[in-house]
Amino acid sequence: MKEFGYERPAHPTDALAMIAGVAGARFLGGGTNLVDLMKLGVETPAVLIDVTALPYDFVTDDADGGLRVGSGTRNSDLAAHLAVRRRYPALAQAVLAGASGQLRNMATVGGNLLQRTRCPYFQDVTKPCNKRVPDSGCPARDGEHHNLAILGGSDLCIATNPSDMAVALAAFDAVVFVEEPAGPRAVPIADFYRLPADEPQRETTLEPGALITAVALPALPWAANSRYRKARERASYSFAIGSVAVALDVADGMVRDVRIALGAVAPIPWRAYRAEQSLRGQPATEVAFREAADAELEWAQPLRDNRYKVPLVRNLMVRTLIELVQAS
Amino acid sequence: MSDIATTHATKGTIGENASRPDGGPKVRGEFAFSGDLWADGMLWGRTLRSPHPAARIIAIDIAAALRIPGVHAVVTAADLPASVNYGLEWRDQPVFATDVVRYVGEPVAAVAADHPEAARQACEAIDVQYEPQVPLLDPAEAAAAPPIHPDGNVFRQLTIRTGDPSARGPIVVEGAYEVGMQDQAFMGPEAGLAIPADDGGIDLIVSTQWLHNDRLQVAECLGLAPEKVRLSLGGVGGAFGAREDVSLQIHACLLAQRTARPIKIVYSREESFLGHVHRHPARIWMRHSAEADGRLVSFEARILLDGGAYRSSSYHVVANATCFSAGPYKVENALAEGIGVRTNNPPCGAMRGFGAVQVCFAHEAQMDKLAEACGVDPVEIRLRNALATGDRLLTGQVIEGTLPVARVIREAAALPLPPSPEIADPMTRPGGAGRTADAAHVRRGIGFAVGFKNLMYAEGYMDGSAARCRLSDGLATVTCAAAEVGQGFVTLAQQIARTVLGVEDVLLAPADTSIGSAGSSSASRQTWMSGGAVEKACQAVRAALLQHVADRHGIDPAQLTITDGRVTSTDARDSIDLAVADAAPGVVFEEEVEYHHRITHPLDDDGQGDAHVSLVCAAHRAVVDVDPDLGLIRVVQVATAQDVGRALNPLQVLGQIEGGIAQGLGLATMEELTLRNGRILNPSFTDYLIPTALDMPEVLATLVEEPEPGAPFGAKGVGEPPTISSTPAIVAALRAATGKALNRVPVRPQDIALGDGE
Ligand SMILES: Cc1cc2nc3c(=O)[nH]c(=O)nc-3n(C[C@H](O)[C@H](O)[C@H](O)COP(=O)(O)OP(=O)(O)OC[C@H]3O[C@@H](n4cnc5c(N)ncnc54)[C@H](O)[C@@H]3O)c2cc1C
Ligand code: SF4
Repeated sequence: MKEFGYERPAHPTDALAMIAGVAGARFLGGGTNLVDLMKLGVETPAVLIDVTALPYDFVTDDADGGLRVGSGTRNSDLAAHLAVRRRYPALAQAVLAGASGQLRNMATVGGNLLQRTRCPYFQDVTKPCNKRVPDSGCPARDGEHHNLAILGGSDLCIATNPSDMAVALAAFDAVVFVEEPAGPRAVPIADFYRLPADEPQRETTLEPGALITAVALPALPWAANSRYRKARERASYSFAIGSVAVALDVADGMVRDVRIALGAVAPIPWRAYRAEQSLRGQPATEVAFREAADAELEWAQPLRDNRYKVPLVRNLMVRTLIELVQAS
Repeated sequence: MSDIATTHATKGTIGENASRPDGGPKVRGEFAFSGDLWADGMLWGRTLRSPHPAARIIAIDIAAALRIPGVHAVVTAADLPASVNYGLEWRDQPVFATDVVRYVGEPVAAVAADHPEAARQACEAIDVQYEPQVPLLDPAEAAAAPPIHPDGNVFRQLTIRTGDPSARGPIVVEGAYEVGMQDQAFMGPEAGLAIPADDGGIDLIVSTQWLHNDRLQVAECLGLAPEKVRLSLGGVGGAFGAREDVSLQIHACLLAQRTARPIKIVYSREESFLGHVHRHPARIWMRHSAEADGRLVSFEARILLDGGAYRSSSYHVVANATCFSAGPYKVENALAEGIGVRTNNPPCGAMRGFGAVQVCFAHEAQMDKLAEACGVDPVEIRLRNALATGDRLLTGQVIEGTLPVARVIREAAALPLPPSPEIADPMTRPGGAGRTADAAHVRRGIGFAVGFKNLMYAEGYMDGSAARCRLSDGLATVTCAAAEVGQGFVTLAQQIARTVLGVEDVLLAPADTSIGSAGSSSASRQTWMSGGAVEKACQAVRAALLQHVADRHGIDPAQLTITDGRVTSTDARDSIDLAVADAAPGVVFEEEVEYHHRITHPLDDDGQGDAHVSLVCAAHRAVVDVDPDLGLIRVVQVATAQDVGRALNPLQVLGQIEGGIAQGLGLATMEELTLRNGRILNPSFTDYLIPTALDMPEVLATLVEEPEPGAPFGAKGVGEPPTISSTPAIVAALRAATGKALNRVPVRPQDIALGDGE
């Protein structure tokens, strides 16, 4: 690990001044991703600005009936919060499905949103990788890609976003609040992440030096009927190979509304708009669910070793929808 | 047979669940692992490793590294005062690469600095000019490829021929199998502290499996007499074969010699994955033929093991894989060809099961195919072919000791089955904590497998172990260099001393090189070899004590015995009844002995010969639940019966069984080092998956006790069998649940059902 400076400001203005003042300065949340990447030499910040002393450790009710979660809230606290568990159960389940108890105690909401891909080449500084070193190449396409994207990738990069939490946030249309050099901004999660296209190094639409302050969950009463399901290679403590966050509003056997987001299949938490579209107003039957899943996955572009993800997420989607019908 | 004076009054003797002396400290977090070592004024050592699988070294410039403040030394091959190569069995591995590097991770230089960060910067500042070469990565091409090492590309080629291999029964089954590269994945990374001594020698505290072999290699490379290199065992956090080869030992000692300062080296997790050998990946082809009733007629096998860049123990892994390739079954006609080759992949060597694991995966898949082809139950077909005492191995050796194959099969098959998936705890369904699978989608499969291997080194190796016992006023002190790597030898040494001497207070002196070699903590050999040495030393002390008492009372020592912790006479008229502690006040009895097992012999050109000391077997039955839609697996239960000879500490045996099954489960379903262009892509515990507590199945175990003639207390080593047949049993269960061929381990979600998707 390279030597680095360390600051722990208590006021957001100080944090913003610090990050603007030093080239190579980075915010530090729980450090569970950034410090790992520093050990690997992937990240080499000059200064770490620890944001955990900022006043962002909260979960409060919003006036509109939604919830607001501070960016410094630890993943464990988020998952345990009663309002989250009651009103947005898929979010609590998604957070709990990630990492381990120890890691969740450290990891913050802001850090979770910005954690980097687990693509093995990205983590290996001796290998080319367009995301880490623009224009150096993408060995994953012909190499180890069993857990990389089937949707939304580009010729330059097929990395997957590894966050479980972000998948649930995508389903609930969360809004991310940030402080940027130009001032504060509210970024809907759909506009927060970028597809790689021809700039895989740019993963979000944030300006450099942006500080995430909070995440808002808009009011969505039927989000109480939601669920997160995750498939992985061992029983606990590992990243998803496919996951789904679903919220379902059914009445009289018909789908009134639905939210579906997929994890571990795309460079961003993948909102399955096509599937949602095809389901609204349809009977809540397995046949319709399958059609909806197919409508989304028709666009999948699997590679040699990640084809399995197509039936995997299809089955996850269908099953979770059926469960939610049974639960409502 | 050993003369066992079983004493009821003495607690913690043989056969009891005596508690481990290191158990409490380990549970409380007080145990000092070698990573915790510290010395005043010490420097931090660090190794620079090759980023290339194959390259010529054009030049190494260390000037910039030396200029970094806090850097005390930078050493390369040019600084080695004596031998420049090392190796566990054969010195073919450079301490530091000179003209070429042969694998990603090969040491090129080492530095010492007053801070780990300065050491890291120094490594970065060393300018190595490489000229990358085309690496040899496919083991199938290695034998015919131009040599990548002066010793050639073939570590060993072994052919075992017996009977008429062209004989054919009416039923023939054939298959090709593959085993991925598994890592020992111990928790405590490599660590050691080398301290220069006033006499020009070095003291090295290190976590290792074999102090004396390390010492020899260090001494050779440093140009010191072996006595000048004194090793003691640092706290070992697991080994499983990966600590048999030297890692940081020579580097640390050289730096200590150079700087005249203590040197500490601790590997990071990533460096640990690069710095030790792995389990050989294997490609195996087998063809079995049988009578209609399933009795084997012929067996053919071709086994290809990728040994990576250096030899390590490849020579003997090839022997084991080939010798035990048919499994614990009778077959008269066989042709088994094993080859281990050199490539530019990471070096492979010893790992729990040592060659038997790879072939067991193949022969057990074959036995299931045969069962199906013959319409015979898988358990029954194994019983029909089971080896027993008096039968001959592929190598022609007649089994003289115990080998209760049929019994372990029957006992494992008789253990109760788990409840059906509908009523099981959802946490125990596929997907575990994610509660991803629901009972309606779960398919259950049951698989059975049997494995065997040898105990101890083979093919004429003169193996031995030394131990010393000291007894004074009822306090026994046992000294032995056997490395406690977690297996529980320290407990057994105490139990043995208590049993023989009738005392409860048994101190264990630190394991170090002040006494003769105990050999390696590998090959399931320490209970037998060092247990035997400790027993023999204690017997000698016991004889001396009884002689002393007899002399004092003017009687024949043959009349005296130790029972219930007391010295008594068999002749009632003598009325001698002394507590051992009071039998010889102030007198010190001390004896040092060496123990050897019976002689074995090399294999001849047809792979025939009495090469093995003793054999051990186990059977595993696995029950798995699979969610085929999601490719999720849950191993619900593993039931096993294991041939243990005699259980000296049943609880510790169970510990070995559970741990071995965890490792077998890992190989079956998740553990693999992924290589691309010779480089390990997943050198971390985030990306190299090992089973967690939630992945562990319920384990049911029956210990089959048929004392082994010639073994101290009749006990066999128990560490390896749990790893050998648990993997194939789990995969057989997965096949039963999914109907898939599953010819490769680890089995991945994509292999289970999802296959090609569309
Ligand atoms: C072994 C292991 C297993 C894991 N398994 C999973 C899993 O199954 N599922 C899953 O979803 N995740 C998993 N994770 C990842 C884990 O969730 C993330 O590491 C964690 O959420 C990151 O949070 P942090 O606060 O520690 O972030 P940090 O490491 O501190 O920071 C991550 C990034 O966010 C930036 N950042 C942090 N806070 C802010 C802020 N307020 N404003 C702007 N930028 C900020 C940092 O600069 C950095 O770039 C795993 C991690 C490990 C090590
Ligand atoms: S997929 Fe993306 S992150 Fe992975 S190697 Fe290619 S460019 Fe790099």
